[in-house]
Amino acid sequence: MSELRTSSIETRGVPGKKRYAMVIDLRRCIGCDACMVACKAEFDVPLGVFRTWVPYKVVGTYPNVKKQFLPRLCNHCDDPPCVRACPVEATFKVEDGGFVLQRYERCIGCKACMASCPYNARFMLPKHRTYTDITSVVDKCTFCHHRVTQGLVPACVQTCIGRSRVFGDINDPKSEVSYLVSHMPTQVLRPEQGTKPHVFYIGADRNNTEYGRDIYRRPETMEEDRASFNRNRT
Amino acid sequence: MGDYVVFHAPAWPGAYSIYFFVIGLSAALFFLSTLSWFRAEFGVLRKSAFYLSFVLLAVGGLVLIGDLSQPLRFLNTVNPAYWNMSSPLVWGSILLVLFGLASVLYFLALRSGNEKSARSWGVLGSIVALGLPIYTGFDLSIHQHRPVWNTPLMPVLFVALSLLSGAAVASFLAKGEVALLGVLRKLMLWSAGATAVMLLSLVVTTAYGGSAEELTHLFMTTGTLGLVFIGVGLLAGTAVPIVLLLAPMGRQQTGLWLAAALLLVGGIALRYSIVVGPQIVQTFYS
Repeated sequence: MSELRTSSIETRGVPGKKRYAMVIDLRRCIGCDACMVACKAEFDVPLGVFRTWVPYKVVGTYPNVKKQFLPRLCNHCDDPPCVRACPVEATFKVEDGGFVLQRYERCIGCKACMASCPYNARFMLPKHRTYTDITSVVDKCTFCHHRVTQGLVPACVQTCIGRSRVFGDINDPKSEVSYLVSHMPTQVLRPEQGTKPHVFYIGADRNNTEYGRDIYRRPETMEEDRASFNRNRT
Repeated sequence: MGDYVVFHAPAWPGAYSIYFFVIGLSAALFFLSTLSWFRAEFGVLRKSAFYLSFVLLAVGGLVLIGDLSQPLRFLNTVNPAYWNMSSPLVWGSILLVLFGLASVLYFLALRSGNEKSARSWGVLGSIVALGLPIYTGFDLSIHQHRPVWNTPLMPVLFVALSLLSGAAVASFLAKGEVALLGVLRKLMLWSAGATAVMLLSLVVTTAYGGSAEELTHLFMTTGTLGLVFIGVGLLAGTAVPIVLLLAPMGRQQTGLWLAAALLLVGGIALRYSIVVGPQIVQTFYS
């Protein structure tokens, strides 16, 4: 991948540097949402917003249909557009490890990072929270930086019952993620954006991960849900 | 198993378009006030255009700060220790501060009647003012995954929209001066023509783009946003005023004012649809 490195911020394949990545094997995801719950518990993520979420699409032709899950989170891009867009460096990339993190005390809430993220991975924290006083700033998945630096894996990986999520240092040739990425056909989301995401999927179908024509003619019931969801957003 | 569908909301609200409109107008009015030192027919605009520009700068600043979820932290954007120079927002903050300073110094020079000083601050302020619509365009164009936004047209389009709105408001401040109204008519005509060409180019290229571009084209040209973008922005707010200005009626004050009013309404509608429209498709990226 080093031949694709175009900016100095990128750390994949750089000797002596860690570059954490996640591989999500969609064949093993059962859509139990335990990862969402673990993440909510780990970070007290408020109602209506998510650091990780599991959307699905019903694929196939009746009667041979199935739900295709696509666990989502921040892609901790090697060349993250949110870092470029933030005016006050509230969003930054950790050089050793590649985590894209947020300085809450510096964030002004201009939402430029939210606008620049091609993956909808960022959200605004509500004004009022019960247990946490970090409010009205942008938040996102941290790859559980606090756990990983203590030698643990992210909470979603720890809890994944199907062992669909695998986490590790992709710069370490002996790591499981390194093995999977080099031996299995993997996909990343929206590779054409040049962000170099570090969440890799096994079994993702581009037809199911990109925009479909159906978003222009959406089912009415879905629109009711959407209106209700946005109304309840604090 | 109960299913839970996660929805996403647009990052930037419609309020941004009000800010874009106000700040573009403020920049253009300052430029027109400065022109009065070089072109005699602009003399009547010297003070009125400048005072309105100053008020609009204050209003625009307040709208911008008010839209932050941490309004008091706007000070972070003027703290050089925090600056991320790859973000157009930082350039915008610097330009806004410089424009404010230039406006104050221009005001002092106007008050003291120091022509040389007023000319100098006017020219410097106008150069900074030009940067305001340019930076607002870059604010949008740097987001590489957004259809419509991520085009080289954005900064140029915002400059044209700024000149157009400025000339339209100036026509109301012209106090019926025939020579000035004639120049403003030409300015409106050229900037509206340039805007129309750029918008046509945007509409056509999005229609032939990838899936996100095509869907954005559909969202922007049909339904409620279609009414705002095509109906109010393109037809009533750009095409009709161009026809009016070209017709004999457009050479008279009433026709010119009617065209100016339509251009202002169109300017707001276009900015609104350009800010909001390209965000819709992204909310469906699950």
